[in-house]
Amino acid sequence: MNKTGTHAFVNQLLVYTLVTICLSGSVGLASVWMQQQIATASNNIKQLETRAADLERRRGEINAEIASEQSPAKLEQRNKAWSLGLVQPTEQQIERVYESPELRLARKQADGRFGGESLSFFPVRYASGGAR
Amino acid sequence: MSKGFASNYRIVLLAACVLAMFGGVATRLVYLHVIDRAKLVRHIEQARRQIVVENAIRGDIIDRRGNVLATSRTMIELAVDPQVLRPQDEAKWPELARLIGMSLDDLTKIFNTKVSLANPDDPESRDRVIQWAKLREEIPESLYDQINALGIKGVYGTRAYSRTYPQNRLAAHIVGYVNKEGTPATGIEHYADFYLRGQNGWRESEKDGRQREMAQFRSRDVPATNGYTVMLSIDSVVQSWVEDELDSIVQQFKPDNAVIIVSDAATGFLMAMGNYPTFNLNEFNKAPMQAQKNFAVSSQIDPGSTFKIVAASGALNEGLVTPQTRFDCMQAVVEHMGKPRKLMPDDHVYDHPLTVSEIISHSSNRGAAMLAMKLGDQRFYEYARAFGFAEKTGFPLMGEITGVLNEPKKWSGSDITRIPAGYSISATPLQIHYAMGVIASGGLLFRPQLINEVRTPSGEVVHRFGSNIVRRVITEKTAEQMALMLRGVMTEGTGMAVEMPGYQVAGKTGTAQKLIDGRYSERNHVGSFTAFFPASAPRVVITVIVDNGHPPKGVAYGGVVAAPSFKNLAGKLIPYLDIKPVDSSLVRPLLAAKGARP
Repeated sequence: MNKTGTHAFVNQLLVYTLVTICLSGSVGLASVWMQQQIATASNNIKQLETRAADLERRRGEINAEIASEQSPAKLEQRNKAWSLGLVQPTEQQIERVYESPELRLARKQADGRFGGESLSFFPVRYASGGAR
Repeated sequence: MSKGFASNYRIVLLAACVLAMFGGVATRLVYLHVIDRAKLVRHIEQARRQIVVENAIRGDIIDRRGNVLATSRTMIELAVDPQVLRPQDEAKWPELARLIGMSLDDLTKIFNTKVSLANPDDPESRDRVIQWAKLREEIPESLYDQINALGIKGVYGTRAYSRTYPQNRLAAHIVGYVNKEGTPATGIEHYADFYLRGQNGWRESEKDGRQREMAQFRSRDVPATNGYTVMLSIDSVVQSWVEDELDSIVQQFKPDNAVIIVSDAATGFLMAMGNYPTFNLNEFNKAPMQAQKNFAVSSQIDPGSTFKIVAASGALNEGLVTPQTRFDCMQAVVEHMGKPRKLMPDDHVYDHPLTVSEIISHSSNRGAAMLAMKLGDQRFYEYARAFGFAEKTGFPLMGEITGVLNEPKKWSGSDITRIPAGYSISATPLQIHYAMGVIASGGLLFRPQLINEVRTPSGEVVHRFGSNIVRRVITEKTAEQMALMLRGVMTEGTGMAVEMPGYQVAGKTGTAQKLIDGRYSERNHVGSFTAFFPASAPRVVITVIVDNGHPPKGVAYGGVVAAPSFKNLAGKLIPYLDIKPVDSSLVRPLLAAKGARP
């Protein structure tokens, strides 16, 4: 192949042009493929966002329903409708523990370590119906 | 010599063609990107660019135990495009009508009306094709799922966030509501809107020919910041009991208005505030304005005998009297500032001079007047102001009024005999409540507090509110003496019927005649009862006020129409708040030890 002269220059130009076209085409295809991937990923994200928003909406609705079902008026209504007979405790039914529960638990724990000696010295003091 | 694979002429021609084509493309590009750019970009922006607003979700309002009082949920507005309905879907119309609670006739009429006819009176109006007709508002998601499952083409919904109040009427005057325009109109919704409303986000992107977002062209995405959760000091359970008690008052006495207020004696935080009349927050648009008025802060009444604590506290605080100082309450006229003053009559005739304790326990009008006279007009007025009368309490919600208490220079000759007994003065129920709170707290006037905390949607505390002391009104010693005297009301005075042994209730009944057409009526009364317990370490202050109650027989005294509700409520609060009875073997049962402060 002649490396000098007009024909050689033209040949080289054609080769380079072809290479450039191939390269440009490859870059173009890669770019399109990348754009397609971006679009696919974006759409997936969008769908997930839509799904998350939908779940959030449903969570809000369920929370509102739970709150409504837990309202004192509803609970009392259910108590009557289902004849559960739940009532507030009367004063006479209340047994008050005047001792600190934390201290009591601490002593109980200590009791395990000291062979059951300490607990019997600290019985719980109950006051029926308060101290009246 | 090789000539290559083409002749010179052909190669040059081919190269020229290729260059010409590239030149053409380049020229077109220059034309599109430089010369015609502005016009084309504008066109594209109009056609493809979009800004989507992402609405922030309004924060919840919860009570002190986390129960939801107000929340946001999506609601769907269901509509139909009659132009795209298909004949094969007609069989599904009855089911759709059933689901949305509409008669089939109405539904069919909407579906078959495809054109809005021109108005014959208006020559410019023309027939209009209907592409949107509303079927129903506020459809929940679950129902919308069922409607979608029918698959009727042309029936579609538009989502919007809507405010909902799961507890309906509970604490309606406190929670308030957001109106249909989305404006927070009243209550905490209005007051704490700054925390609740959040910040909308937005998204800039492009859309395709079918108006769908092309997510890959998102250029800016600012996420919405949802509103904060506001935790109130209100307790739903206590509030529910208060409202049940109000229902009971209405059933028994048919009053014009009634109010019950419960607050924490140690901090001034409100635990419950109920009014009659009230309304359902989810149907606020159907509620009359009268029902929406917060009687506790927007109405003024004569406080009656509950106001007697002012004169007694003032005189004790100034060291002018002791609880044992006696006054002759049998005399009808006394001299004050050089002039004879006719005293208001008492309900009872006393055979001995009354001690200050007895003046309070027997609710003597004359005794209260003499205590105020001992203080003097100006000092008595200053004590009334110090107790919070004739000034706003600082209640955070709107609509509060100051009440009326004239300055001494504007008083008539009889005012010094009437004001100490709670007449010729107007106060709001909340002022009366917090005045009693002064005794319960050991002499401090608190500002009413409604909000405990503000939290992020994820539950982190942003701000915690503490108790707010307005001023010291009386000394701790005076408060102790007053609490002791108010115990006397329950043990030997007007409140004996509602005494709760073991719990040291200290309170004051009140009955004021109502001013009707400029005259005090013999038939219309405001009955009240305000009390706290246990007196030696107060936990709660409860005030019950019944405006113009009508008991089956007799006068609507505070001890008749208001005090029983106090007792019912206190009985429920004792186990709920774990208020322990006072062990008489451990403490002096009739002595207020230290107010309620920790």
